[in-house]
Amino acid sequence: MAANPSLERPERADLTRRIVDTAADDVLLVSGIGNASFDLRAIAGERPGNFYMLGSMGQAISIGLGLALAQPERSVVVMEGEGSVLLNMSALATIGMVAPPNLTLVIWDNEQWQITGGQRLSTAESCDLAAVATACGIQNSATPANADEFVQALRYALDAPGPHALVTKIAPTPGLPPQRDDPVAIKLNFMADLGLAPD
Amino acid sequence: MVTERQIDWRSGIVEALRANDIELICHVSDTVLAPIVRTLEEDPTFNVVTLTREEEGVGTLTGAYLGGVRGALLLQASGFGNILNALGSLAIPYQIPFPIILSARGGFLEHNVVQVAWGKAAPETAEALGMQYFPMTREDEVAFVAEQGMRHAFVSRRPTVIGIETQLSGGKRGR
Repeated sequence: MAANPSLERPERADLTRRIVDTAADDVLLVSGIGNASFDLRAIAGERPGNFYMLGSMGQAISIGLGLALAQPERSVVVMEGEGSVLLNMSALATIGMVAPPNLTLVIWDNEQWQITGGQRLSTAESCDLAAVATACGIQNSATPANADEFVQALRYALDAPGPHALVTKIAPTPGLPPQRDDPVAIKLNFMADLGLAPD
Repeated sequence: MVTERQIDWRSGIVEALRANDIELICHVSDTVLAPIVRTLEEDPTFNVVTLTREEEGVGTLTGAYLGGVRGALLLQASGFGNILNALGSLAIPYQIPFPIILSARGGFLEHNVVQVAWGKAAPETAEALGMQYFPMTREDEVAFVAEQGMRHAFVSRRPTVIGIETQLSGGKRGR
């Protein structure tokens, strides 16, 4: 039996740790619902400038767009699963048109809805999300194949004008254990880190 | 033909946006809203983002608010149906305030039966989600209702809906 190539792919938690290690302290990190947030929260839960989503599947890349527009001097990195991006794929067209130079989308693609039981997705067969992003006008789309290429692509994304998309095939590893969070506390902490007072 | 009366109520909405320090405008296609969007696009106070689908607006305005910028979402009643889960699982639990300027359909002056169900359900759905729906039916109430309805979003820390009712807009008549 042939080896399963997906098992040799990098793991989301390892790459998440590399994002936290690579990004300067003032880079804003947004993580989408489920494993993307579980991993970031478990790895760097106290990092200032992290925003975790607890619901609203698909909206992370749109949150990233709004945040990039509101904070043009900061880099914004969104970590989101491919299932969520497919669900809100229209937002790629919007992001391509608005084209905020300080926005990077890291798309974790394990070709399945891992968290709900591993149901196979279109990216396993027919859908090329990097090509979709490019076709939507997100000109800087990369497909890093291992951790070294990922860090290299991330450094470029944080340095060069975007928007960028790093569509990264990962192993279907479950997320790190989730922690219970209060959405209002997530908001208040994030805004306090930016020196902002909410209404 | 654009009459003076139409210019006035639309200006009231623009002034209410300004009075509430709203800068980011997210919108999806609507005939009634189109002149307002054109005015906002020509005004350097406002940054206008044309969405592809309404639900993105909830995420985009959430991100903007987290970054210190107030925004508003302009859509038609049917588009309100496209944002419900994002309201329920993002804007409301995270307490993200923004006004939704809704161009109503399905009531008086309607010609298209498919608009009727959402025309009735939009205010009821807003209420079911714990959000205020402030209807505007007359030109002389626009300045107050628009400004205070938008302000209420920031007071209540959640989206509010300001309805441009068909009595005010004239609706979208069949061609």
